[in-house]
Amino acid sequence: MLEVRGLEAGYGKVQVLWGLDLQVADGEFVALIGANGAGKTTLLRTISGLIRPTSGTIRFRGAEITGRRPAEIVAQGIAHVPEARELFPLMTVQDNLELGAFARPAAWARAAQTLTEVYRLFPRLSDRRLQIAATLSGGEQQMVAIARALMSRPEVLMVDEPSHGLSPLMVQAVFAALREVSQSGVSVLLIEQNVRQSLRLAGRAYVMENGRIVLQGTGRDLLESPHVKEAYLRL
Amino acid sequence: MMDLFLQTLANALIQSGTYALASSGLALAVGVLHIVNFAHGEFLMVGAFVAYWLSVLAGIDPIVSLVPAGAVMFAASGVIYQASIRRVLLAPELNALLLTFGIGITLQNLAVLVFGATPRVVHTAYQLTAVTLGPVSVGVAPLITLIVSVALLAGMYAVLYRTGVGKSIRAVAQNRTGAHLVGLDVDRIYLLTFGIASALAAIAGAMVLVRIGASPHMGFGFVLKAFAIIVMAGLGNLTGVLWASLVLATAEAFVRTYVPGGGGAAEAVFFLLIFFTLVWRSWRTA
Ligand SMILES: Nc1ncnc2c1ncn2[C@@H]1O[C@H](COP(=O)(O)OP(=O)(O)OP(=O)(O)O)[C@@H](O)[C@H]1O
Ligand SMILES: [Mg+2]
Repeated sequence: MLEVRGLEAGYGKVQVLWGLDLQVADGEFVALIGANGAGKTTLLRTISGLIRPTSGTIRFRGAEITGRRPAEIVAQGIAHVPEARELFPLMTVQDNLELGAFARPAAWARAAQTLTEVYRLFPRLSDRRLQIAATLSGGEQQMVAIARALMSRPEVLMVDEPSHGLSPLMVQAVFAALREVSQSGVSVLLIEQNVRQSLRLAGRAYVMENGRIVLQGTGRDLLESPHVKEAYLRL
Repeated sequence: MMDLFLQTLANALIQSGTYALASSGLALAVGVLHIVNFAHGEFLMVGAFVAYWLSVLAGIDPIVSLVPAGAVMFAASGVIYQASIRRVLLAPELNALLLTFGIGITLQNLAVLVFGATPRVVHTAYQLTAVTLGPVSVGVAPLITLIVSVALLAGMYAVLYRTGVGKSIRAVAQNRTGAHLVGLDVDRIYLLTFGIASALAAIAGAMVLVRIGASPHMGFGFVLKAFAIIVMAGLGNLTGVLWASLVLATAEAFVRTYVPGGGGAAEAVFFLLIFFTLVWRSWRTA
């Protein structure tokens, strides 16, 4: 469904991605792990059109979407929950969520229904629907960011380190929600530092180092892999 | 005694309408595009001249001309945005400052070249009539400009807080990356916002034409005061603009009425207000 080939991208003269290949099949839950600075965030930013790649291709459902603007990527059905959440701080939870459906006519037509669904997924947000986003706790903001992306009724949901800065209980809630999203048929590409949990959740996973994929396999395989154990699972 | 006081208040209210109209466009550009538009005063001047020439050449009432004046500046600012502003939006702020300053100077000199430097005035029947309410007498022309300003500002608020486009504009203002990621066409929203801001300036210009007149240099005084107002309001705070306009206009009116020889001093009031605002803020945050 989503297919990245030979992707190279960076910031000005600094190249970050070096010929990266990655695929997410229909309905698949894929995890991407890697050390700080490996280029995971840069990859997501390139897929969602915030950064233009210098070479390589990104295809979605067979059509090339390389270098398209973010608005077109969202319209295609790819939603990105960014590392920094990027909420609209002075708006209410509900306004934030509604804006998630705004730019995609098919999603906007069903916004009321989707809203009920995301409130069921995150009951905590339902209680806070009129609260201003900036006053939410970090975990609640993360939930809004995920819920806002879901409002566009995406076919692929890309989530960048959702567990970052969250208490263990909140991490459980967020991961449970992602599992449910995946079970509803949405493809998920999850970036995580929380390696053990995300590999358990994922059907397939990639390990990224220095802007390249160095290892891939099923979540279970990677949990057993000596390299992953050595580099990412040592306590 | 009381009569003079009430009359001064009435004058202040009228003036604050024009100030609010002239400043809210500037505040909108600062709040949404994060650029300080130094050409804003010249956009106001362009609006005044559009209304002036429509009045002279086509006999169109300058109040009615707020529509073509706004439309001309809306379109012209679109060209200016596409040709220049959008290229400096991501550059350091100084670039946008220098660019808009240059646009302002160019417009001013063009106006001198084409129209000459002499101030122009329009003559309408209602400029000579006034309505009296108890001890207070207000000219019909200024009163109309106040009504127009209030209506337009209310309209702008309604658009920003009651429509989908307005919500998109606020979203872009609050978080550009977030706006991109929900699929808003950020560049088009910038174009539209800059157009609205510029049209508001031009309409304010038509209002100033009715009350005072038009001249190539008229923009400078207004842009200085508009800066004072958005500084008092807090950058990008639109509701604050209304209050700050009222404060500035009231302070000016009272200095003009009650300070001997206050006509000149009134023109310096905005400077004192900026000064005290900044000092007060630095104390409060210190
Ligand atoms: N805006 C930027 N300008 C220049 N360099 C950047 C920028 N953003 C990231 N980089 C650089 O790109 C490299 C990859 O960064 P990226 O954020 O993609 O890594 P990451 O894998 O997401 O790391 P983390 O796990 O810490 O989030 C880093 O070396 C970083 O310094
Ligand atoms: Mg990252």
